[in-house]
Amino acid sequence: MTGQSRNIAVIIAIVAAMAAGCRSGPSPEAPASTAGLHRGGEIVASVRSEPRSFNRLAARDTTTVLVATLTQAKLVRVNQATQEVEPWLAESWTASPDARGVTLKLRRDVVFSDGHPFTADDVVFTFDAAYDGQTHGGVGDSLRVAGKKLKVVATDPQTVTVTFPEPFAAGVRLLDNLPMLPRHKLEAALKSGTFSSAWGLSTPLSEIVALGPFVVARYEPGQRVVFDRNPHYFRKAADGGALPYVDRVTIDIIPDQNAEMLRLEAGQIDTMTSEIAPEAYAPLKRAADAGRVQLLDLGGGYNANALWFNLKPGAIADRDRARWLQRDELRRAISMAVDRQQYVDTVFFGAGVPVYGPETPANKQWYWAGEPKTPHDPAGATQLLASIGLADRNGDGVLEDARNQPARFTLLTQKGRPDLERGATVIRDELKKIGVIVDVAALDSGAVIQGFLTAQYDAVFFNPDKTALDPALNLDFWRSSGSAHMWNMNQTAPATDWERRIDELMDRQTAATDPRERKALYDEVQKIFSEHLPILYFAAPRIYVAASWRLTNLTPAVWRPQLLWSADTIAVAR
Amino acid sequence: MARYIARRLVFAAFLIVAVSSLSLVLTRLAPGDFTTEALGLDARRETVEQMRARFGLNKSIAAQYGDWLAAVARLDFGRSLLYDRPVKDLIPERAANTAILAVTALAVATLLGLPLGIVTGSRRGGVIPTVIRSASLVLLSMPPLLTSLFLVFLAARTGWLPIAGMRSAAVPEGGATVDLLRHLIVPAAAIGLPLAAMLERLQAQAMSEVVGEPFVLAAFARGVPRSRVVWRDALKPALKPVASVYGLMVGTLLSGSFAVEVITAWPGLGRLMLDALRARDVYLVAGCAGAGAIFLAFGTLLSDIALALVDPRARE
Repeated sequence: MTGQSRNIAVIIAIVAAMAAGCRSGPSPEAPASTAGLHRGGEIVASVRSEPRSFNRLAARDTTTVLVATLTQAKLVRVNQATQEVEPWLAESWTASPDARGVTLKLRRDVVFSDGHPFTADDVVFTFDAAYDGQTHGGVGDSLRVAGKKLKVVATDPQTVTVTFPEPFAAGVRLLDNLPMLPRHKLEAALKSGTFSSAWGLSTPLSEIVALGPFVVARYEPGQRVVFDRNPHYFRKAADGGALPYVDRVTIDIIPDQNAEMLRLEAGQIDTMTSEIAPEAYAPLKRAADAGRVQLLDLGGGYNANALWFNLKPGAIADRDRARWLQRDELRRAISMAVDRQQYVDTVFFGAGVPVYGPETPANKQWYWAGEPKTPHDPAGATQLLASIGLADRNGDGVLEDARNQPARFTLLTQKGRPDLERGATVIRDELKKIGVIVDVAALDSGAVIQGFLTAQYDAVFFNPDKTALDPALNLDFWRSSGSAHMWNMNQTAPATDWERRIDELMDRQTAATDPRERKALYDEVQKIFSEHLPILYFAAPRIYVAASWRLTNLTPAVWRPQLLWSADTIAVAR
Repeated sequence: MARYIARRLVFAAFLIVAVSSLSLVLTRLAPGDFTTEALGLDARRETVEQMRARFGLNKSIAAQYGDWLAAVARLDFGRSLLYDRPVKDLIPERAANTAILAVTALAVATLLGLPLGIVTGSRRGGVIPTVIRSASLVLLSMPPLLTSLFLVFLAARTGWLPIAGMRSAAVPEGGATVDLLRHLIVPAAAIGLPLAAMLERLQAQAMSEVVGEPFVLAAFARGVPRSRVVWRDALKPALKPVASVYGLMVGTLLSGSFAVEVITAWPGLGRLMLDALRARDVYLVAGCAGAGAIFLAFGTLLSDIALALVDPRARE
């Protein structure tokens, strides 16, 4: 890129960001072309587990989130395909210049599926419900800035003012987390302290009203949830016709991926609601080549499996062991010892991309292009380990520390996740070549999480799924006081200088209103991260989804549900 | 006989309480709890503590177990943490589905295994007994998990049968019962065929022993037709060993159905328990285990009664 074209690109980016920050006017989100799209028909998709509730604020499992995606609507939507913020129930908004608040104008004439009008009172009610101590869906915790609640005021039936406790540059992006709920249906439950049980699986379905494209029509426990189109849905297609295109969505509950794939190939379902596992790619590719399904390559994923050590001071009981186990040099050596291409080939069967830092190249907006790409260098790794006193003192091929104790650690990983189990095996084998012994302990996810929440572990290999791309929405990961600051959680004061520096940079990054400044600050954070490598990343999978040829007008996205995130615009062939 | 049944019922009640209690305590002892799975990593500590307090997970195991036991005495089996519904509402709907599958599989096993066992046990050689014996050995060596995978694959490739689930989304032309029966074929065969093979082998062994007994040889010597001797005289004593293992088979049936329910998406107790275990839903795990114990106790009781009818000495 020449200097001139870079400048133009920067100007375009700034203008686009300003437009996103202070959007007003008609909504641009309607599909560009509706020519040839058939209205009517049914989509049959599958999930692995049944919903825990029909109330998104009460549960956060994948299927409950999917139900909310189909039946509820938010004030603004982050377009999963473009990552742009789009007007949704709010038709426009104005951010305050100091990034401390935003005023949202709601669409007029929006009604719930029971015909009751949607107003600013519903917005205030939904925030109250999300912050209520009874709800366990995790939404209330994610709707905080610096750990504090947002202040939400209805200034008139169509206007809502949201005030952030601190300057918050990500602004309305945060509101993508919160589906709006009907005050007229749920206020009594909130007041009586039974909100978390409201809209449970045994609630009469007529009580569950929707703002989204579909309403829950039938629930057969353990088998399926059936959704019919919401006749009052507020969005219209570009031709002015009603959305959604399809009349019905059926979500079959199929716990086993093999059965899901067979049903897809047999034409009994149209799509799965999650990406294809690496081991399932080959058979589906054959089915795609034979014309039985369409296979969509969505590129590299946003999430990479992560390896981290317990860096909490004093957490490793044996101080001599802690002296090498908690050193930066050990992590740098591991990064050099693991051949990332071999990792990709073994774990993802070639369908992956090497990853070196906390952002994958797929996160185009926030990925730091200057990130050092650690070469595969076992000899360099051995030298680095020697610098912290690990050497093969007795010639048995295993490194020993100064007390002649073998360089050995236990790696906790999640059982039942083939990519993690294969990845742990690759790491174990690669480190064995440089004389470090890794004992892999595969446990169920609850036990692994408990292990690192209580800081009772040497090292963990896990996938702490990121749910937002904007770093300001991942502060719990970055801040030393954060509950998702994996290597040393919930610190009262930063344990190291570099963590203190990251805290400062992230505070500035979160408050800055200039997108260029935010990017530069986050690049600096990633630079510090790469110097100390508190978490090691090796590769991210390419994301593939499969669908029947019946489905048209798809806008696939990397995150789940890759197709149904935009279910209102999917059509089925005539 | 009534005292005998009463004794067995007391034992069954003890079995159910013991199995449920043990499941609750073991689930509680396992690392992690429902909050770690339900709230994820980015939950605030206050949120986690609120949730633990709400569900009684902040109490000691003894206190939680005591509360649960006191509630069970009032026939309150607790509230599922996972689904926020009473366990006593969740279990029956799933147990009924498992019972439909188990009874069908047991019927398949019995109707196939016993007659085939009698055929192979009453004849020394021949093509048919050899084929049956070989098929039994193959089926016995295949666990229900593999059998179900194979049958699901077959159903997918041929398109003859539904691959998964219990009912179609829309009731087909044949009606709901036919639809249910079509959905039953794959899971019931996956569980029932290995059991049929086991019954065939047991019955064949028992029959071959009875056929060698003096009273049977005497009947043959008197010129009574072979089929009449086998099906009328030899059958009842040859059923004794099978009747004694029938109850245990119900237990096998249940454990076998867990894997099959997952593969074939059958909405039964096995899948519910698997979900409950993954989520560390202590009360639902205890409820599912209790329901499983009821199945086992019921099967054992039936088996004991059958054995007592066939052999009155068993009542002693």
